[in-house]
Amino acid sequence: MYRILVINPGSTSTKIAMYEDEKEAWSETITYRKEDLDGFNRSIEQLEMRRIDIMDLLKNRGVDLKMVSAVVGRGGPFRPLGSGTYLVDEKLLDDIKMGNVQADHISNIGAVLAHELAEKAGVSAYFVDPVSVDEFEPIARISGIPELERISLLHTLNIRATAYRAARDLGKSLTEINLIVAHLGGGISICPIRKGRIIDVNNANEGGPFSPERSGSLPVSSLVKLCYSGKFSFEEMKKRIVGNGGLVAYLGTNDSREVERRIEKGDEDARLIYEAMAYQIAKEIGAMSSVLKGSVDCIVITGGLANSVMLVEWIKERISFIAPVYIYGGENEMEALAHGVLRVLRKEEMVKKY
Amino acid sequence: MAKSFRILVINPGSTSTKVALYEDKREIFMSSIQHSEKELQKFKSISDQHQFRVGIIEEALKINSIEIKNIDCVVGRGGLLRPIPSGTYRVNKKMLSDLKSGKRGEHASNLGGIIAHDIAEMVGVPAFIVDPVVVDEMEPVARISGIPEIERRSIFHALNQKAIARRVAAELDKEYEEMNLVVVHMGGGISVGVHKRGRVIDVNNAFDGDGPFAPERAGGVPAGQLLELCFSGKYTKEELKRRLVGNAGMVAYLGTNDMRKTKEMIEKGDQKARLIYEAMSYQIAKEIGACATVLKGRVDGIVLSGGLTYDDELVRMIKERVRWIARIFVSHGEKEMMALAEGALRVLRGEEKPKVY
Repeated sequence: MYRILVINPGSTSTKIAMYEDEKEAWSETITYRKEDLDGFNRSIEQLEMRRIDIMDLLKNRGVDLKMVSAVVGRGGPFRPLGSGTYLVDEKLLDDIKMGNVQADHISNIGAVLAHELAEKAGVSAYFVDPVSVDEFEPIARISGIPELERISLLHTLNIRATAYRAARDLGKSLTEINLIVAHLGGGISICPIRKGRIIDVNNANEGGPFSPERSGSLPVSSLVKLCYSGKFSFEEMKKRIVGNGGLVAYLGTNDSREVERRIEKGDEDARLIYEAMAYQIAKEIGAMSSVLKGSVDCIVITGGLANSVMLVEWIKERISFIAPVYIYGGENEMEALAHGVLRVLRKEEMVKKY
Repeated sequence: MAKSFRILVINPGSTSTKVALYEDKREIFMSSIQHSEKELQKFKSISDQHQFRVGIIEEALKINSIEIKNIDCVVGRGGLLRPIPSGTYRVNKKMLSDLKSGKRGEHASNLGGIIAHDIAEMVGVPAFIVDPVVVDEMEPVARISGIPEIERRSIFHALNQKAIARRVAAELDKEYEEMNLVVVHMGGGISVGVHKRGRVIDVNNAFDGDGPFAPERAGGVPAGQLLELCFSGKYTKEELKRRLVGNAGMVAYLGTNDMRKTKEMIEKGDQKARLIYEAMSYQIAKEIGACATVLKGRVDGIVLSGGLTYDDELVRMIKERVRWIARIFVSHGEKEMMALAEGALRVLRGEEKPKVY
């Protein structure tokens, strides 16, 4: 049996779990108040505080690190990488400490925490499928003007975990099927996966369907006009695209359950917007089917919004002609991290070097 | 035998004026008169070119001994009007005033209705326009963008898309109004329209920038990154707009909007030219796939049309990615003159009622 310690630093919490093979043995969350985090600029500065809290927790639980087979931390927006499970090495640690990453994000310290705990345990540290996974084909990088390149950025961890699950359910290996995974959360990522490689994705911060908190693609001339209108600062516009766009911009809430309650009460405006979201999700799935030239073994809908029956039915109605549709609601990052490591410990997948 | 109709067709483009005479669907005469930049520079606005272009048309008719006394109507290309349903419209005062003021945008096609009206008045026959770019049959769900400040709008190659779709329907011995089609117009700009039983319920806006990039237009680009360009201080609004429409797409990457030149570059082994060329077909195919879901997969045909369809390899690359969706029809080039004549003919024959603007 493998015992895998999982570390997942989020913006206001650190989640820790122990997995025994596929199963969760226990899990805990250390939460931080806003004032706990106020004094920090870069995420890396929180390292010590987060480490001490984790060590305390492990001590209180009586966890013997010597019994651990591996430690895994959530990956961050590192440099563009192929998908998979990676060993944390000196090069990565340097890049994180020096800020040689695509963005400063708290998930960047997941690998550092995993490394420090793994050293104490005398085992290897890993990270799995960070958001910066990039397996784009060259044609997918072209936008429409040379100043802008389409960039691969996605909810890789859940997408790959779900893709593995779909392959298992089809009784096949991931490297022999083509599928489209739609991760529907606060942001939405829709990607075609060809024989295990994620060859395109909308990039939830830049385009594709609108989502509960993001605008997705926008007609460009109108967007330029808005930017030059003098009515909005750069920061405001940015917020309108990521954070304060999509459902929340139209309906004042990013909560799909609230939107559904309004629809059930007969709110036509809520219905139109919610339906438009399903419509745009379906269109993006259709677009990605052309990328796979129509040879699609299945379409998987996952993430928090996959639990919304209303939304999922609207999407299915439009896309079921393409391929069988599987719904795997919710997401479980901790499990996805543990399973990623398990795959390499069991030699089902080759471990990758950063 | 039924009476045949004689139709004078006027199609003003940015650097040319085309005039044709049709007898029913048969072209009797066609002339395309080029205008030099110098000739057009004299005019402050596009609507000021009106008398100049009328003169040129009269001269062309005279030189070719084309008699227009016995024509049944004049039809001009429609311009930037308010959003209206598809159809053939009688040119009226309200339309003329909108076309002349250019309040919805200046475009050479605005002259189509104005000139048609002028000539028609001289002869004493009605003037029409057919399916201007502002044809709007979008469903409410297609109008939502992703933020309430911006609405998706229907502006596309309606004249050509509608005419080609009708032709494909006729080929299959069906009514346009009973078919579901995805129609692609591939020219300097590229529009991909969802034709559901005779109505274009969704279409990318090749003017305003969504959908695939084209020889001269960027299409949709990453929104977050575009913001950074907007606020970078490096571009004026006008510069950036030109970078998205006009000096964008293939011409921005390769320095030419001419597909033949691009092909020459590819033949000489230019890898970048090859990549951009393939990426264009990739984006067109993605847009077609997206449109197929709007029809819930019930697609009777995919129709490729416009000047770029003369490029067999481009057509082949697109086909390879979308042939799983439906049967593909290729209609080379664009037939705007014919489309205008047909639109007028439907009304003259009483098959369709003229619409009122």
